[in-house]
Amino acid sequence: MLVGPDTFRRLCRARELLAEETEQPLTIREVARRSRISPFHFIRQFEALFGLTPHQFRIQARLDRAKRLLATGGHSVTEVCMEVGMSSLGSFSNLFARRVGATPSAYQEQARAATEEPGVLPKQLFPGCLTLMGGLPASAFRNFREASAAAAPVECGSVRQGAAYANQTHEHHG
Amino acid sequence: MRIKLTSIMVDDQDKALKFYTEVLGFQKKHEIPVGEYRWITVVSPEGPDDLELSLEPNANPAGKTFQQALFAQRIPATAFEVTDIAQEYARLKERGVVFTAEPAAMGAVTIAVFSDTCGNLIQLYQPI
Repeated sequence: MLVGPDTFRRLCRARELLAEETEQPLTIREVARRSRISPFHFIRQFEALFGLTPHQFRIQARLDRAKRLLATGGHSVTEVCMEVGMSSLGSFSNLFARRVGATPSAYQEQARAATEEPGVLPKQLFPGCLTLMGGLPASAFRNFREASAAAAPVECGSVRQGAAYANQTHEHHG
Repeated sequence: MRIKLTSIMVDDQDKALKFYTEVLGFQKKHEIPVGEYRWITVVSPEGPDDLELSLEPNANPAGKTFQQALFAQRIPATAFEVTDIAQEYARLKERGVVFTAEPAAMGAVTIAVFSDTCGNLIQLYQPI
């Protein structure tokens, strides 16, 4: 699919509208209308461009905001739930736990423990560019040939896959 | 000093891994859990097998703002070289990839731009 400049601009604007933090969020149909795209094409094009349907994108934006609010402190889980526009605490907690892997209260506890400076997001939960590198095992820094030569314990299948690929490559070039 | 690793911020690591391997055709080298996220790298089957692209979680709000601003301004986050851009364009379109610019000659290269569905525009280029 080729998306022209006008449609591209409209879809980017729609993404902003969907992420807006307002008390009465627009319906997807209304966002489509404001984007001057039919609802059917709007959903289809939005998903093709951003990898999420408008609804999924809005949910993700709410969860991201919830994580920030929980991590910076000062809000109870119930307040965060209301703040991100969800009316049912149970639904919010279930959704949050399913997507984030921890309940909102567990996440908040984790964030409190990791916070070094009040009001500043903890790096562990909000990593910046390449900061994950500090938590890697030594095997992550071996290249394919080294990884395949080493009989070191492997943490995940992907490293083994990498080693297999190294062998193929080696044979190919050999 | 060597260039052995580069990275691209992605809004969802699962989605990114699927797109970069199954759609673009890169191969996964690492997938290692680090806290809530994972260290995921891919390599190109056509390129040096120890030059990795890290699919970085775009968790930091500053990163998200930057990424969304670049995207909205139609600025590619990175570029990949191809040997036959017309063929890649056809192959990726066939796989449902959204292009914002079809192949066009620009000086010493022919370029095309597509969305990686993870918040980035990617430029393909073929040197003339």
